[in-house]
Amino acid sequence: MIEINGLSKKFKKNVVLDNIDLKIEKGDVVAIIGPSGAGKSTFLRCINLLEEADTGTIKIDDLQVDVNKKTKKDLINLRQSTAMVFQQFNLFRRKTALENVMEGLVVVKNIPKNKAEEIALVQLQKVGLAERVHYYPKQLSGGQQQRVAIARALAMSPKILLFDEPTSALDPELVGEVLDTIKATALEGNTMIIVSHEMNFVKKVANRVLFLYNGKIIEDGTPQEVFGNPKNERTKEFISKLAYSIAPEYQI
Amino acid sequence: MPNIFDFKLVFTQIPKLLSYLPVTLEITVLSMFFGLLLGLILAIVKIKRLPFFTQVVSIFVSFTRGTPILVQLYLTYYGIPIFLRYYNYYNETNYNLNSIPSLFFVLVTFSLNEAAYNSESIRAAIQSIEKGQIEAAHSLGMTFFQVLRRIIIPEAFVVALPTLGNALISLLKGTSLAFVCSVVEITAQGKILAGANYRYFEVYVSLAIIYWVMTIIIEQFIKFVEKKVIIPD
Ligand SMILES: Nc1ncnc2c1ncn2[C@@H]1O[C@H](COP(=O)(O)OP(=O)(O)OP(=O)(O)O)[C@@H](O)[C@H]1O
Ligand SMILES: [Mg+2]
Repeated sequence: MIEINGLSKKFKKNVVLDNIDLKIEKGDVVAIIGPSGAGKSTFLRCINLLEEADTGTIKIDDLQVDVNKKTKKDLINLRQSTAMVFQQFNLFRRKTALENVMEGLVVVKNIPKNKAEEIALVQLQKVGLAERVHYYPKQLSGGQQQRVAIARALAMSPKILLFDEPTSALDPELVGEVLDTIKATALEGNTMIIVSHEMNFVKKVANRVLFLYNGKIIEDGTPQEVFGNPKNERTKEFISKLAYSIAPEYQI
Repeated sequence: MPNIFDFKLVFTQIPKLLSYLPVTLEITVLSMFFGLLLGLILAIVKIKRLPFFTQVVSIFVSFTRGTPILVQLYLTYYGIPIFLRYYNYYNETNYNLNSIPSLFFVLVTFSLNEAAYNSESIRAAIQSIEKGQIEAAHSLGMTFFQVLRRIIIPEAFVVALPTLGNALISLLKGTSLAFVCSVVEITAQGKILAGANYRYFEVYVSLAIIYWVMTIIIEQFIKFVEKKVIIPD
């Protein structure tokens, strides 16, 4: 279970996250939607401490971290409990797909190389890249790179997966394969937070949708509630605009 | 015909010079090694903008770049003994000034000089790495030193390779100044040989050949490494 309390973050005078509270149950698939600049990325990055929040506590199961009083050990522990999939994939360029997935297992978890390789191969197979394990990132398509990144995240067996617009940097024809992979990950029972603009995907895969606006969660409910019957004016406006947008269709 | 230029001697004395090549190589390799290590540390100090240390590094780099290596050699050669004398005087210690091998002064000077130049190339290389990979490594739970060793150094090395290769070649040639600290490497040995037979021109031709060949070998080696580290499309 993940519990976030009083999370706030300012960049200079710009309040990006405003005292956010959020509780997520194990197995939840939470989608965060909201306009550009709302603070979605910042929120995810504060959860794994890539960004330093000004105040707040983050609790993942028994590990509770106050962002103001965190030790080096807290930092490493929290990052090991979470795993992030980035918009730009962020694979290690000088490592093959297999080495990318093994890296955290060997270096962070101290798992022996042969065992780490086994785990990595299983994960790469799950994302459909068994044939590409010895390819370097630049030899892979964007969709394949993002699937390697997902395998890298899953291999660490984190308590929560954080996806920051995992398909926004992809050519439209490659979006589907990545969404399929994320959906499969969700169906396996992983707890995850997904920031995404793929509304059709969000409707089908998430069991909870948050609308983030000006650093606050102003709408929180099931996809049916948030998309079908939004309570807040801002949400209504955002969703009605979406209806006209030409967001790529995603079929399941 | 008078023997104005002894062509044969140019080649016959090469082996006598080469017997001091190990000294030249020792200075080159050790100075490059320490220069890279210290250069990396200086680069990190600058990138992390550590207060106070950053200023110290800036002054050190500026000084090193702004003074001739010959002058720097004299500064360490005369400066370290003077420093030790003061140290002995104030701490009532009794370090023997004559026990310091001449090679030490040379290694200190060249290592510091390399460190100053390399720190700038290493810093530029590190800052050219895209941030995403580093963030990904941190998000896996790696510590700063793990990220440095596993991700940053291998990436930066490839970027900095041509510059560091040039630095190595300059260093090799620069070691010919080691004689000012009374270290005998190939150039100093050449001077000694010529002092005995007065064939100065011949010995410098021999030396030129040796340095040139060594430089070509290093260039080929760097090219080989560059090919090795490239990831095919
Ligand atoms: N490192 C930073 N320094 C200063 N301001 C920042 C920084 N990162 C983000 N911001 C600001 O914080 C606000 C929220 O940014 P964030 O990237 O979290 O938005 P977002 O909801 O992810 O938007 P998008 O949909 O465009 O990705 C923006 O106004 C942005 O300009
Ligand atoms: Mg964002």
